Amino acid sequence: MNSTPTLSLGPATTDRSARLRAALARRTEWRGLALLAVVVVATLSFEPLVFTAYPVTLGRVALIGLVALGLTAVILMGELDLSVASTLAVAGVVMASIPNVALGIVVALCAGLLIGLVNAFFVVKVGINSFIATLGMLFVLRGLAFVLSGEKPVRMADIEAGIAFGAPIIGPITPRVLIFVLVFIGLQIFVTKVRAGREFYAVGGNRQAARDAGIPVSRRLVTGFMLSGFVAALAGVINTMERTAADPTAGSTVLLASIAAAIIGGVALTGGRGSIVGTLVGALSLGIIEVGLTLSGVQVDVQQIFIGGVLLLAVITDPASFRAVVGNARSFLSGRRGETPA
Amino acid sequence: MILRTRGTLAATGLLVATGMLLAGCGSGAASDGSDGYTVYALLPQGNDQPYGTTYLPPMQEAAAKAGIKLTITNSQYDADKQASECEVAVAARPDLIILWPAVADTVRPCLEAAKAADIPVTVTNSDVIPADKSLIKAYSGPDTYGQGAASAEIMCELADGKPTGILMVNGLTGNTTAINRRQGFLDTIQKNCPNVTVLAEQPGNWNKDTSQTVTSEMLTSVGAAKVQGIYAADDTMVAGAIDALKAQGIDPKPLLITSIGNTKLGNPLIKSGELDGTIFQSSSWDGQNAVVVAEKVLKGESVDENLFMPSVKVTAANADSPEVAPEW
Repeated sequence: MNSTPTLSLGPATTDRSARLRAALARRTEWRGLALLAVVVVATLSFEPLVFTAYPVTLGRVALIGLVALGLTAVILMGELDLSVASTLAVAGVVMASIPNVALGIVVALCAGLLIGLVNAFFVVKVGINSFIATLGMLFVLRGLAFVLSGEKPVRMADIEAGIAFGAPIIGPITPRVLIFVLVFIGLQIFVTKVRAGREFYAVGGNRQAARDAGIPVSRRLVTGFMLSGFVAALAGVINTMERTAADPTAGSTVLLASIAAAIIGGVALTGGRGSIVGTLVGALSLGIIEVGLTLSGVQVDVQQIFIGGVLLLAVITDPASFRAVVGNARSFLSGRRGETPA
Repeated sequence: MILRTRGTLAATGLLVATGMLLAGCGSGAASDGSDGYTVYALLPQGNDQPYGTTYLPPMQEAAAKAGIKLTITNSQYDADKQASECEVAVAARPDLIILWPAVADTVRPCLEAAKAADIPVTVTNSDVIPADKSLIKAYSGPDTYGQGAASAEIMCELADGKPTGILMVNGLTGNTTAINRRQGFLDTIQKNCPNVTVLAEQPGNWNKDTSQTVTSEMLTSVGAAKVQGIYAADDTMVAGAIDALKAQGIDPKPLLITSIGNTKLGNPLIKSGELDGTIFQSSSWDGQNAVVVAEKVLKGESVDENLFMPSVKVTAANADSPEVAPEW
C-alpha cells in the first residue's frame, strides 16, 4: 500500500518526523482521505442511514467507482479516455443481444478490449491527442449502441438470471460490489507491484525520459486503454445484468462522475501522480455524499453544487496549487500592508 | 516549512468548514415534516427539462396539501442511476414510491425490491411494461392510445367523408408511446373514417429535423399532389413536417394536419392555421395527479388501474382558451 512509486525524490533527512512528513507529502491521497473523513463525520451526524444501509451506499460507490478505476490507469499516463460511458452502453447492448448469458458476457468484455485497442491505435499509431481520439469514439460508440439495439432497450433473454445477479451473495454484498473490490485489488497490485504497471507512472511523469530509460511507452499506452475499455465493458455487463435490460442511452452520467472520483482522490490529470487507492477514496466520498444528500431530500441540482464544490476543494487543496494560492494571498496582503500609512 | 504547515492548517480548516456546511444543510433538510406520509418520487427529469419544470410545482403543491413529505430524485434518464436511487429509496423505507421510469424495460428489479420491502409503488407519466403491471398499484398520466385516437377524430371531422390520402410521421421505433399513439390513430380512422387512407408512414424519432427529412422523402415517393393531410405523433415532429411542405413550395394551410401535444411550439401553429388540431398533454395535470393517486393508495382508498389524463382536443376554435394554455 505504501510503496506507490512517484518521480519526486524525498528530501535527504534523517529526522524521523521530517521523514514521515516527506512520506506523507509523497502520497497523493491525503487530501482525498481528509475529505472522506469530513464527509463521513458530516454524514454520520445528519444521515446515519447512509451507513446502516451500507449495502446500498456501497452499491452506489461501485456504480460510480468501477469505471473510474479503469480510467485511472489511463489518467496515470497523462491520457484521457472519454469513450468509457459509450463503451459501457455498447457492451451492455452486445451482451443483451446474445441469448446465452455466459457467451454474451465474454463477447461484451472482448468488445471492451477491442475498443481499448482501437483507442490506443489512434493515440499511439496515428498520434491523435487522446482527448480528441476518445471524444470521436464517444460519438461513434454511442451511435453504434443505438444501431445495434434498434434504438430501444434490449431485454435480456434470461430475465431471471439478471434478477438473481442483483441479489446479495455474501451477507448483504451484491456481486456488483464484490466485482468492484476485486477489480480494485487487481489494479492496485498491477500498478504497485507489477513492473508494467509501475511504468505507467514513468510514462505519465515524463514520457521522453521513460522512452530513454527503455520503457516500451507505446505498449504501456495500449495496455492502459485496453484496461480502461475492459473495465468499462465490465460495468456495462453488470448494469445490464442488474437491470435485466440494456439501454443504449446507458451511462449518461458515468463519464463525469468517474473523472470527478479520480480527481477528488488526488489523481493528477497531467499524469504521473495519483493512485488506485485515491480513486477508491474519491468514489467513496462521492457515493456517500450522493446517497446522503438523496436521503436528506436534497434536489439533484443542489447535489451538483455540492459535488462541484467538493471537486474544486479537492483541487485547490493540492499542495502545489495551495502553496500558490497562499503565496499569492500573502504577497497581496503584504503589498497592501506596505501601502497603508504608518 | 512554515508555509506548508500553514497551508495544511488552512486546508484542514476549509475541509472542516465544508463538513459543517454539509451537516447543516443535511440536518435542515432532514428535520422538516416528521408527521404525515413520506414518499419518494423517482423521476428521470426535473428542472432540467421543459416538461419537468412545469410538472414539479403542481406535484410539490399537491404533496404539501396532502401532508406528504416528498423526496424527489432526478436520474437524468440514466436507468442505472435511477436503479441506484430506487435502492436508496427502498432502504429509507418510505410509505410509498412514485416511479416515472427512465427506461421502462429496466425497472423490474426496482419494483421487485419495493415489493419485497412491502412499499407500494405508483407510476406516473410513462407506464411500466404489461408484464410488470401486477407489481404496481396504479398508473396516472397520458393515455397514449387515447391521444392517438383523439388526434384521429379531429382528422376524421376535417376529412368530412371525402377520400383523403395522408402521410404519417411516428415517434421513435419501439418506444411505447410511439406504438400506442400510432395504434390509437390507425384503429380510429379505420373505425370512424375509412375514407382516410395512410399513403406512407415513417418514424420521425420525436425529432424535428428527422421529421422534416422523412416527410420530404414521403412527399416525393408518393407524389405531393396525392397528399391531402399529415398526422405526426407530436408537435415537434409536425413542425418539421410543415417545414418540409413549405420547402417544396406547398402551402400547409389547405392540408389537413393533426398532431399531439399542444406545446409552446404547437399552439402557435394552430393559431397561424398551419396546424389544424392537436391534443393537449398537460404537464401540471401529470404532476398533480401523481400525488393524488399516491395519496389514495396511502389512505387505502380503491384506485383504478389507470388514471388517464383527459385527451383534450385543441383546434383554432379553442387555441386561445386559458384552459388549454400551453405549459411546456
